Amino acid sequence: MWRFIGTRVAMGALTIWVTTMLVTLLIHAVPGDPVQIMYAQSQGTTPEQIEQVRRSLGLDRSIPVQYLMYLERLFQGDLGNTIRGGQPVLEVIMQRLPNTLVLAVASMFIAIVIGVPIGFLAAYREGTIVDIGLMVLAIAGISMPHFWLGLMLLFFFALELGWLPVSGNGPMNLILPALTLGLSNAAIFARLTRSSMIDVMNQDFVQTAFAKGLPKAIVLRRHVLRAGLLPVVTMMGLQFAFMMGGAIVVENIFSWNGVGRMAVEAIFQRDYPIIQGFILTFSVVVVVVAIAVDALYAVLDPRIRRA
Amino acid sequence: MGILSDVPTRSAPHGFWRRLLRSPNGVVGLTIVLGLVFCAMFAEVLAPHNPSKMGTGGRFLPPGGDFFLGTDEFGRDMLSRILHGSRITLLVGAVAVGISLTTGMLVGMIAAFWRGWVEAVLMRSTDVLFSFTETLIALSFVAVLGPSLQNAVIAVGVAGIPFYARTCYSAALVETSKPYFEASIAAGAGPARLVFVHLLPNVLPTMIVVATLGVSTAILAAAGLSFLGLGAQPPTSEWGYMLAGSRDYINRAPWLMTIPGLAIAITVLGFNLLGDGLRTSLDPVERR
Amino acid sequence: MSSVLLSVRDLSVTHGSGTRAVPLVHSVNFDLARGQILSIVGESGSGKSMTSKALMGLLPPNVTATGEAQFRGANLLDKNIAPPRGTGIGLIFQEPMTALTPVLTIGMQLTEAMVVHGLADARDAKARAIQMLERVGIPNPKQRMTQYPHELSGGMRQRVMIAMMMLLEPDILIADEPTTALDVTVQAQILDLLRDIVRDTDVGLILITHDMGVVAEMAEDVMVMKAGRVVEAGSVHQIFQAPGDAYTRALLDAVPSVETASVDSKPTDSQALLSIRHLSKTFSGGRAFGIAASVTRAVDDVSLDIMPGETLALVGESGSGKSTLGRILARLTKADKGNVTLAGTDLLSLEGAPLRQERRKIQMIFQDPYASLDPRQSVGAAIAEPIKIQTTLSKADRAKRVAQLLSRVGLTPDMASRFPHEFSGGQRQRVSIARAIAAGPELIIADEPTSALDVSIQAQILDLLSDLKSENGLTMLFISHDLAVVRQVADRIAVMRAGRILEFGPTEAVWASPRHPYTKALIDAAPVPDPSRKRSARAHALDTFPMTPLIEAAPGHWVAL
Repeated sequence: MWRFIGTRVAMGALTIWVTTMLVTLLIHAVPGDPVQIMYAQSQGTTPEQIEQVRRSLGLDRSIPVQYLMYLERLFQGDLGNTIRGGQPVLEVIMQRLPNTLVLAVASMFIAIVIGVPIGFLAAYREGTIVDIGLMVLAIAGISMPHFWLGLMLLFFFALELGWLPVSGNGPMNLILPALTLGLSNAAIFARLTRSSMIDVMNQDFVQTAFAKGLPKAIVLRRHVLRAGLLPVVTMMGLQFAFMMGGAIVVENIFSWNGVGRMAVEAIFQRDYPIIQGFILTFSVVVVVVAIAVDALYAVLDPRIRRA
Repeated sequence: MGILSDVPTRSAPHGFWRRLLRSPNGVVGLTIVLGLVFCAMFAEVLAPHNPSKMGTGGRFLPPGGDFFLGTDEFGRDMLSRILHGSRITLLVGAVAVGISLTTGMLVGMIAAFWRGWVEAVLMRSTDVLFSFTETLIALSFVAVLGPSLQNAVIAVGVAGIPFYARTCYSAALVETSKPYFEASIAAGAGPARLVFVHLLPNVLPTMIVVATLGVSTAILAAAGLSFLGLGAQPPTSEWGYMLAGSRDYINRAPWLMTIPGLAIAITVLGFNLLGDGLRTSLDPVERR
Repeated sequence: MSSVLLSVRDLSVTHGSGTRAVPLVHSVNFDLARGQILSIVGESGSGKSMTSKALMGLLPPNVTATGEAQFRGANLLDKNIAPPRGTGIGLIFQEPMTALTPVLTIGMQLTEAMVVHGLADARDAKARAIQMLERVGIPNPKQRMTQYPHELSGGMRQRVMIAMMMLLEPDILIADEPTTALDVTVQAQILDLLRDIVRDTDVGLILITHDMGVVAEMAEDVMVMKAGRVVEAGSVHQIFQAPGDAYTRALLDAVPSVETASVDSKPTDSQALLSIRHLSKTFSGGRAFGIAASVTRAVDDVSLDIMPGETLALVGESGSGKSTLGRILARLTKADKGNVTLAGTDLLSLEGAPLRQERRKIQMIFQDPYASLDPRQSVGAAIAEPIKIQTTLSKADRAKRVAQLLSRVGLTPDMASRFPHEFSGGQRQRVSIARAIAAGPELIIADEPTSALDVSIQAQILDLLSDLKSENGLTMLFISHDLAVVRQVADRIAVMRAGRILEFGPTEAVWASPRHPYTKALIDAAPVPDPSRKRSARAHALDTFPMTPLIEAAPGHWVAL
């Protein structure tokens, strides 16, 4: 098991390392002069000021040197300062990251709590009208753009019915964005759970369990569910990454003050230090969650735990 | 000896169209997709008005009457905009998937075919990019290239490469380890023959299914970018962009929100259903 | 018969209903008594497994059973009665690797049904389970209880399976091909165990199998099924000595007899066609950070000569390295060390175009007839492929050659335009053979070419191979786990285990006077299709065997002792 987790950690470290390099290169891939572009929107910047920014970003050095400088600052917890306002990027991100994480975790919870039972029910009633109905619902759910779902929920629950606030950052404000992301992903979980359960139900060991005379409820709960949920667990890491990505859009709809909304604003304002910091933070979060999910899987599956 | 057990199996890729037309998902999906293609091809003829002409008949006209789907905040005809938008949507899907599919297949097949260090380098980099997630790759691309529809499509296409490469790689790996492939190696077949006569035709069906389902993902992703303002710019009749604009008038003209959203949802549903149908008819063993 | 346990009358199984109904089993009758072993024999699709599933009430949806099966005063086929699964009838499956739940401990799986059926409380159940594990021959039973299925070998899992069913004290045990997925030596142990259990507990055993050897060894009564119907039933002696039905006779004829030697060994003093010297190959499993976690010696310092015109058989159980050796010779797997020369050419050092040319001389036939043809290539194109690559024949000449080859392997020339899915397993294997001989190879490597086929088809393919050999003077390396098959086709036998050759020599010499204990164990374990030669307990296979370098024990007969 430790070797399995060790491999995942190494892979994650590699991903983050590659991210740091890409992030340094990013600013050079911008067509034209990045500093010019960054300041294009602010009036009255003198050439001297621009030259100074260029130097402070290390853009006058060679790329490898810039990368080493970036790494050195990174190890000191310094992600640079924002172009607008000159605040430390790390501080800006850390202020908003918890909001995004809360949103992603809440959505994940909704997705699992709704999706897994639906998938299980559909598998249990495979081929019946219940199954077909649920799966039509699921495929419709997958096809529904979550930004549209978000707008519709906003329209009905916040504007028409007035039950929930339109935007803000309180606990009540969490409900709509989490529901938006959660429902979209519940459909994915439902489909995955169903196919995994059906796979397991057709395995020999389920026949064995029935041959022993075990009642269906025990066979399902003890034999099918445990084996059938393993693939669902492995998918959780990837799903969390989707949630993080989806959060970018959803945060913008509901004006949820997370890193996604910050990133989109930064892109409009060409605030490259924030964009760099965002990309790095995003990939660290995704990698850490993926490793945690793999570790969970390793604990749940005796074939890995005892290897 | 008349041995009854030694009879041929029926399955295999033949009778594929018949099976596709027998699966309800496939039929509905195919109908939607063909309908969309029709709309896109004849948008000029079908559209009752010029999609970007403002103030044709007043602003915020509700659906019905002269303007079947109503008008928007500039008095543009929604139906005409939706019809013209279908062109953009299909083009976006096709180009983005084209980028992902061709590059991904190239990477996947090379890795599976040459193995060794080529495989290690290609697949490890793919893994790294994959854990980056598509959203982040797309967003980084737009951040660098700047917001525009063209850049959004490139971003979505590039972001999809790791997934297609992985899928193609595992499909190709299954084929290269099958005896028929080894028999061809043992017969002295060169790389060109192995790849084009055996590998490609056997990997292609899987990739067609993946690409069909991928069109819906790509359309959603590109519309999402446009929704954020990072894709299509005014006055394009892009559905995601139209949806973004509707937010400000959500109380006054809710149809500005429902109609483009519905258009995206139906399109994506069509490709999802078609992909599902294709999968079951290409692989009859799989259950529904 | 005394005390009849189960009485089956007019049992039919149908798939679907109405006009689209397909009969799977047609009007089967039999009785089973306490302590009786009844064998149901048939090839794939004969309905033998459906019969057992009907009795267990485990038929797939859309499949229905009619008729009567009286057991403990009730009709098992009555839908309103809960089938006495486990406590009345136990079922053992073919595939021990997948028949146990991977995520639950052995102990949990052994005890849960006892508790559910109220046979014991949790503590009592555990004690009984440990006892039963000991009874079925599993060492360290206490420790096994906490282990998971993947930590046990296939043979051990099948023992666990038997223990699991016997713990519920059923009156009837149905074993559906219980040893088909196991190695010969393990098969022998499991059959012994089943026989002991029937003797000790007086349970009635229904043994479903396709293997006449297993039938002869185990059964008292036999029921032969074909295409859903019983074609013949009777005592095992009656069936073997005076088979009444043509199909039974065909089945019996198809069994490679271990009694008759069909091969006359040729003098082998000519120059070797292929020489293998000190060949080694290791596989490393589970690599992390460049450090191999485990190393398997698949081929370990093997030296061997193959003479022109002979059939050399490579015999061994799974994991012996026999297939790896074959694949190295076909240049499908790279060797770590050693030399292979084919008629003077160093085979292992070739690369690129010279290698591709040299490949003409060695062709392979694979085990799985379904995967050995490209589903998207017509059969004609598949056979023409080696000709196209290796010769300069024109398109018309190639087509002519393909037509000839198709006729040669017992198919018709018009089949060239068809695709593999239109062919049966046996026919596909014929196509594979045609492809293998198409470009005139000097050596054919046949890797278990008949293992995936029904017995009667097996015999046909073996006949075809031996015809080709005698007419075209083919040299063949025949890789197999089945000694009886090997004896029928091989001039010489090499016995492999754990990557090493333990014994090799002329077929008859090895067969008649095996010198290595492992060879003896293999021959002893092979079921003999002769009910009059029923054996008592076998000397159980050892775990370790001498693996020293080979010495010549008799002229041309080498042993690692």
